[in-house]
Amino acid sequence: MGVVCLFFRIASSEKERRMEVGKASMARKKKEKIHEPKVKITWKEIKRQKVLLIWAAVIVAYGIVFYYLPLAGWVMAFQNYRPKDGLIHSQFVGLAKFQQLFSDATFLRVIRNTLAMGVINLAATFIMAIVFAILLNEIKSKGGKKVVQTISYLPHFLSWIIVTGILHDALSSNGIVNELLVRAGIFDQPLNFFAHPKFFWPIVAFANVWKETGWNAIIYLAAITAIDPSLYEAAGIDGAGRFARIRYVTLPGIKPTIIILLLMNVGNVLNAGFEIQYLLGNGLVQSVSQTIDIYVLKWGISQNDFSIGTAAGIFKSLVSIILIVIANMIAKRSGEEQLF
Amino acid sequence: MDVCLLRKGRCTVKAKKTVSLLLTAAVAVGVLAGCQDTAQTDANGGQTASGGTEAAGNGDGEIKEFTAFFAVPGSEINDDNEIMLMLGELTGATCKETWLTGQTAQEAVGTLIAGGEYPDFIDGGDGMAQLYEAGALIPLDDYIDQYPNIKEFLTEEEWDKLRQDDGHIYWIQQFGNIYGEERATTHNDEAFWIQTRVLEWAGYPEIYTMDQFFDLIESYNEANPTMEGGMENIPYTILCDDWRYFCLENAPQFLDGYPNDGSVIVDPEELKIIDYNTTPTAKRYFQKLNEEYHKGIVDPESFTQTYDEYIAKLSTGRVLGMIDQWWNFAYTVNDALKQQGLDEQGCNYVPLPITIEEGMKNQWHNSGGVLNVASGLAITTSCEDVEGALAFVDALLGQEAHDLRFWGVEGVDYEVDENGEYYRTEDMRVQSSDTAYKASHSCTYSYFPQYSGTSRDGINAMKPEYQAKEFYNSLSEDVQECFAAYGAETYVDMLGTSEAPGPWYPMYSYSNNMTTSTEGGLAWAKMGEVKHEYLPKVVMSDDFEAAWEEYMKVYDSCDPQAFLDEMQAELDRRVEEAAKYN
Repeated sequence: MGVVCLFFRIASSEKERRMEVGKASMARKKKEKIHEPKVKITWKEIKRQKVLLIWAAVIVAYGIVFYYLPLAGWVMAFQNYRPKDGLIHSQFVGLAKFQQLFSDATFLRVIRNTLAMGVINLAATFIMAIVFAILLNEIKSKGGKKVVQTISYLPHFLSWIIVTGILHDALSSNGIVNELLVRAGIFDQPLNFFAHPKFFWPIVAFANVWKETGWNAIIYLAAITAIDPSLYEAAGIDGAGRFARIRYVTLPGIKPTIIILLLMNVGNVLNAGFEIQYLLGNGLVQSVSQTIDIYVLKWGISQNDFSIGTAAGIFKSLVSIILIVIANMIAKRSGEEQLF
Repeated sequence: MDVCLLRKGRCTVKAKKTVSLLLTAAVAVGVLAGCQDTAQTDANGGQTASGGTEAAGNGDGEIKEFTAFFAVPGSEINDDNEIMLMLGELTGATCKETWLTGQTAQEAVGTLIAGGEYPDFIDGGDGMAQLYEAGALIPLDDYIDQYPNIKEFLTEEEWDKLRQDDGHIYWIQQFGNIYGEERATTHNDEAFWIQTRVLEWAGYPEIYTMDQFFDLIESYNEANPTMEGGMENIPYTILCDDWRYFCLENAPQFLDGYPNDGSVIVDPEELKIIDYNTTPTAKRYFQKLNEEYHKGIVDPESFTQTYDEYIAKLSTGRVLGMIDQWWNFAYTVNDALKQQGLDEQGCNYVPLPITIEEGMKNQWHNSGGVLNVASGLAITTSCEDVEGALAFVDALLGQEAHDLRFWGVEGVDYEVDENGEYYRTEDMRVQSSDTAYKASHSCTYSYFPQYSGTSRDGINAMKPEYQAKEFYNSLSEDVQECFAAYGAETYVDMLGTSEAPGPWYPMYSYSNNMTTSTEGGLAWAKMGEVKHEYLPKVVMSDDFEAAWEEYMKVYDSCDPQAFLDEMQAELDRRVEEAAKYN
């Protein structure tokens, strides 16, 4: 039974991969730059690095226990899994569950929704964060900058239940948005935003931007501060204005960071979200609001069909891996930074 | 030149360091967040699982502690709740109850199963079958005979109805059990509800059909568009949130004069299953809603509001009428109306006996207990002291404990007059509707087995709300006046009552526990999906006929016949089963 529980943690394995991948790239870069002499593995050397090796072993064990062992739960996807029988005694059905999954029109729609929202969210939050970081960097008053930055990243710490509550209030028929639009004469009468499927994706994207822009911008701000000020001076002497400096100094300066983060996020596209869609969705918009995660919950856990839930989860992981490999390949081809 | 290069070199190294540090930090935060997610899911399951079992094996004299999870929304009581402690003295145990928050019953139960650890007691609600399937429950049949109060609680026939396909009894249905003489006061079920101010304004007219109902609301709203405080009325709202969309969905069965079988109509003559989604009545009902929607009578937010928003709306007293189950709104809304003094403005709700045509018999209210065999109180495999747990349940059914649970403490929550009849003063009534007081003082163990009907003393009702005098005195004046005008004394009198139609009733106790493992269950789940999406669409559509046609087409593609066939098989089985006892 514990295995089942562990298996559901796989959702977080995305993060783990990010971490490992991040470390790897760091190590690689170092190697390329410094060209350390190759150390032969001898007993003496092992003894010398004893402490390091022990620490590394702990991390490896952690990885195996929490990220690789749970993968055994994937067996469920090829079985007609019943909790009573457990992993060992459940009936083996091969790819039947996958067949069932892909002949289900709901699942295909759910994939579309997840991809669409993932891409829209990625594009929106990604661009907004960069733009915001650059704008913030141009503020010369230190105090003002700090205030804006603090205010802008605070929403990151709100949980989705609160954010969706605010959205629900603000966008309801007698909420502030409708009030303003009606008063301004743009609408004749209040519009119920949540009753129209066409508004759902933009609302989700907006919510993501509002919540995460400030937080995501921090990393770019850090990258910008690391740009050599003399480059700005030189550009200034060459007659570059503010925009030219952004264009020719700031953006190229943070390009490696942008590429790395983009690569990481591409692998995350299918994690388009669960809470926000789950909390904001309703019957009228369910055809555009449900994501793979909601599908797993609804048709897997709620209907006691863990196999179908696992199959959907596996599909999601595979697509994520493929996406990240493709993105990395493209980055490699164009001679940019890469993850692995 | 050299200096500059040097400086530049150092800067880039520094930059790399900063970026790497930040990256690590970001990733670490990500990982932590990931851990938190899982911790939360665990907490949902684990929260209730811990603690209880440690009390098991305690020696005599010590008060045991059990845990319980109920897959319905409820409010937790304080750990030092006064009556809970008194019951602890009396029964030798206490129980920490936790309730559903934010999820559906099936999601919560699914998460528990995935975790593999359970509280001592559980009522999985709609997820009960899942728990049984997962082997999480302990068969109770061998124990029942040892506990007289539990044994007495259900009849032999009722116990047999609770048997699962492996022949064992796993749960005790807590509700609908009438001790002695039945005392019907509240209509605890579904109805079209209307505020008393509307009826009063119109001179208490006789309302029998949907058309009359909406005409009345329309003309009232035209004459009085706002409340006394100046807030605009909401003429009619429909709750449509997740599983609670029955407020939109199942009215056609009642309108045709059938009782609440929940998922289908049963023709009591032919013993045939009828699908109420496709009847002419269903079409007329949704067409009416469509018209009223376009007239602005149906609240435009009906289909997007959450349950909380709906309750908040009703609590303001702005909503003139709706269709709902009493238990779904009354306990919170009535208290809120009372605390704000809105009952004096006639904002309380009374039910109306509405059918599709005038002169039909309605079956909104059924007399007799309804035994919902689909769920009940069960003991899980994680419970280490099954006997202790059952002894606790047994003790809670004793009269003294039962009085403590539902009436409270004599002299504090109720008084006894010279005839031995219990009554409450106005102060006690106000006190009993105060949530803070309830949390610190009252402990009903509301999802443990309980009786309605008459107490073992032969005088009082098992619960205050069924005590005729007490019930009437606790009503607001507007409701009393309204009842008087219709010659009624209780909510039930407003509707009239009829016997439960047959031994198969209610059929929802079967469909509630269907899963996608059967064809019928799969069809049932898909039908639900389709109705969630298309019923609001149909009501909001500018072209009703076209929308209805499209809905019917999509509905048919779910293969509803597979579902109906399985329901028919169950109906036949139940009729056959019941024949054994005649």
